[in-house]
Amino acid sequence: MASPFRFKSFRTRILVFFLGLLVLVQAAVFISVNTASIKSARFQIDDALKITAGVFGRIMTEREARLLEAARLLSGDFAFKEAYATRDRSTILSALDNHRMRIRADVMTLVSMDGKVVADTLHPEKTGGEFGLKDLVSSAEDSEFGEAASVVFIDGKPYQMVVVPLLVPMPDAWICIGFLIDDRFVQELKSLTQTQVSLLRDSQDGTSVIASTLPFFGREALKAAFRADAPPQMEMVLGGDKFVSFAVPISHGKDKVTTLLQRSLDEALSPYKRLKSALILLFALGLALSVAGGVLMARTVTRPVRDLASGVKRIYEGNYSEPVKVEQEDEIGKLAGSFNHMLKGLIERDRVRSLLGKVVSSAIAEELLKKEIELGGEEREVTILFSDLRGFTTLCERHTPQEILSFLNYYFTRISSVIEANGGVVDKYIGDAVMALFGAPLKNEDDAARSVRTALGMRQALIELNTEFEAKGLPRLSLGVGVNTATVVAGNMGSTTRLNYTVIGDGVNLASRLEGLSKKYGVEIIVSASTRALAPGFVYRELDTVRVKGKSEPVGIYEPVGEAGDVEDAVIKEIVSYHEGLKLYRERRWDPARKMFRALSEKNPACALYAIYEERSRELIENPPPAGWDGTTVFHEK
Amino acid sequence: MLKKTGIILFAAFVAAHSCPAFAGSIEFSVNDGKGKPVADAVVYAVPRDGAPSPAPGKAMIDQIDKEFVGYVTPIEKGTMVSFPNHDKLRHHVYSFSEAKRFEIPLYTGTPANPVVFDKPGVVVLGCNIHDWMSAYVFVSETPHFSTASDAGRGRIENIPAGEYDVSVWHPRLKSSSKPAPLRVKVADEGASKADFQVALQNVWKAWRAPAASGNGYR
Repeated sequence: MASPFRFKSFRTRILVFFLGLLVLVQAAVFISVNTASIKSARFQIDDALKITAGVFGRIMTEREARLLEAARLLSGDFAFKEAYATRDRSTILSALDNHRMRIRADVMTLVSMDGKVVADTLHPEKTGGEFGLKDLVSSAEDSEFGEAASVVFIDGKPYQMVVVPLLVPMPDAWICIGFLIDDRFVQELKSLTQTQVSLLRDSQDGTSVIASTLPFFGREALKAAFRADAPPQMEMVLGGDKFVSFAVPISHGKDKVTTLLQRSLDEALSPYKRLKSALILLFALGLALSVAGGVLMARTVTRPVRDLASGVKRIYEGNYSEPVKVEQEDEIGKLAGSFNHMLKGLIERDRVRSLLGKVVSSAIAEELLKKEIELGGEEREVTILFSDLRGFTTLCERHTPQEILSFLNYYFTRISSVIEANGGVVDKYIGDAVMALFGAPLKNEDDAARSVRTALGMRQALIELNTEFEAKGLPRLSLGVGVNTATVVAGNMGSTTRLNYTVIGDGVNLASRLEGLSKKYGVEIIVSASTRALAPGFVYRELDTVRVKGKSEPVGIYEPVGEAGDVEDAVIKEIVSYHEGLKLYRERRWDPARKMFRALSEKNPACALYAIYEERSRELIENPPPAGWDGTTVFHEK
Repeated sequence: MLKKTGIILFAAFVAAHSCPAFAGSIEFSVNDGKGKPVADAVVYAVPRDGAPSPAPGKAMIDQIDKEFVGYVTPIEKGTMVSFPNHDKLRHHVYSFSEAKRFEIPLYTGTPANPVVFDKPGVVVLGCNIHDWMSAYVFVSETPHFSTASDAGRGRIENIPAGEYDVSVWHPRLKSSSKPAPLRVKVADEGASKADFQVALQNVWKAWRAPAASGNGYR
């Protein structure tokens, strides 16, 4: 998700998404409306121009028809014929003028059949000269009824002109009648069609604007922009305004006359411009509303999410006291509900865990919680430590069970702390006895050394305890500790519904036996040869080689004296001479051995071991054993 | 009775003017140069050796069904022409032609006084209230004339032998290309020939609309 558009906040993302969507939709609407508007405006203009062109054509035709009718009427007018027959120019001229005024025409000319002007209302003084509009007359001569109509120029001014023969009753002269085409005419057309109308003359001298509804500057621009050979429909910019133009040719003679009908595109677009600004306003309004609504919405969506997140953070930090408060009933509410449910589970689990830690050792609790709890175990090398309180029975006789329980708890707390301090695990309390494990469930390289150190620590703790007890007037207690390292089965044992993490095997029994033997050898701690081998960092005193009940193999047993280096030289010297005595003893040289043990015993009467071996040597001297004697002591009782 | 007397008088008039007893004739034809016969063309012969004695008579141009009867009527100078109106409505016959200007204001029946055409030339007749009505009167100085039939042919009878300038006229004759007179010799007996080719031009008449009120009146 290495996108450049990454918003950290959920709220921002929602906002950006919705606003983006809005802008996109609005932009699409805007663009399509705009395009459609312009298109539609153009269509409308095109249509309007075509209609106007039709109207214009119709108007021109009607004017022409009016002129023709007037001319025909005159042609048949008997009074005019009489006037004409007088051959009197003034009479003819005034008759012409009279008729011209009847129909509000602008020019009227009578031309003889051979093309000479008889009378001309525009030039009253002129007579007998050549008539200028030869083309008009010749096209009348070529027509079926001797009539013709055209836009012509007289003195540079455009006229819509018709010519018909004067019938007396046969053609005897040409009657020409014309309307001036001027600004008034195009203005009328404009007021009729709302279209700009311009008449352009394209002659050898160039383009000129004959008449136009455009303002002056527009005419000048038009003159420059107009091309007679351009297609009828085109667009041109006049005075900054864009015009759609439609050209209608009205005269094809030497002087090409074109009517240009024009509509302003900007004007046609003005309603769309209003629509456009309305759209922009709506867009702005929509955007503002969307921002407001989006912020509000995002807040309602994200606030519970943030509440949830902060709740989760609280719980992560271990504060279970407050559940997450989300009062919604939507998905977020459901999530919060589930989360609170999970929180309950967590609280429950934590409670179980702490309880478990108290019921079993915390290491075992961890081990149990770590994985699926199932019956069965694994073989592993474990050092087992058994400790037992001596003289406890006597204590029980003198005190109430309540006192004994609190006393025991105090004792166990101290002893257990020594075990845990050395990385051991209290497996169980059995009455006044403690069973501790080193190497299960967690393994350390120096499990054996840890167990020996624990045993020594326990002995030291007891000394301290005894000092306290003495102060309280309680009896002194002594300790018996057995330590053995062996491969045993470690795991969950019991029924499927109730089980213990513990170790089982011969090695466990041996540790227990060794603890039991300690009293017999007058020592507090007995360590088996296997443990001693694994914990070489201590000074040991060899006690014996024993064959305990239920075990065929003899086991060497030792008493740890202390950490190597911590033991005084005198003690070491004593141990050395003891080990020499033990050697003599095993070599069946019981006499010297006995003397040696006696000497040691006299020197250190507190150590019962020397007395034991002196006594054993004396017995062996009296009752020598059979030849296969190997110095092993056999214990039959438990 | 009166009619009979008229006929006898007319016969006497013809007899008095028909000498000399021997006379020839001119057979003529007129076409438009494209082989099309030109009807109503007037062909007239002017004797080269002096004007013939005129013998004007009488002629009639009727108006029937709002038309002049006879599109072209050649007459000799001095002829009295009457314009009997056979329609039930009035006509107003006029002419502004140089050869004869006259006007018979709205009238019915036959006007009391016939019109004397005393100048040679072409007289175009019209009716003031019926624009389309038009007819030509060709006023000839010579008594030797005739009009071409629809086949473009005709014959000028009773021409005394001699040399004649034979000309042609037609209402649509293009003035710019009027053919020169033909010199024709006429013998006492037999027919001489005169063939013309003429160029015609368009002449516009007022248009007669189909009768708005049907044939209810004339």
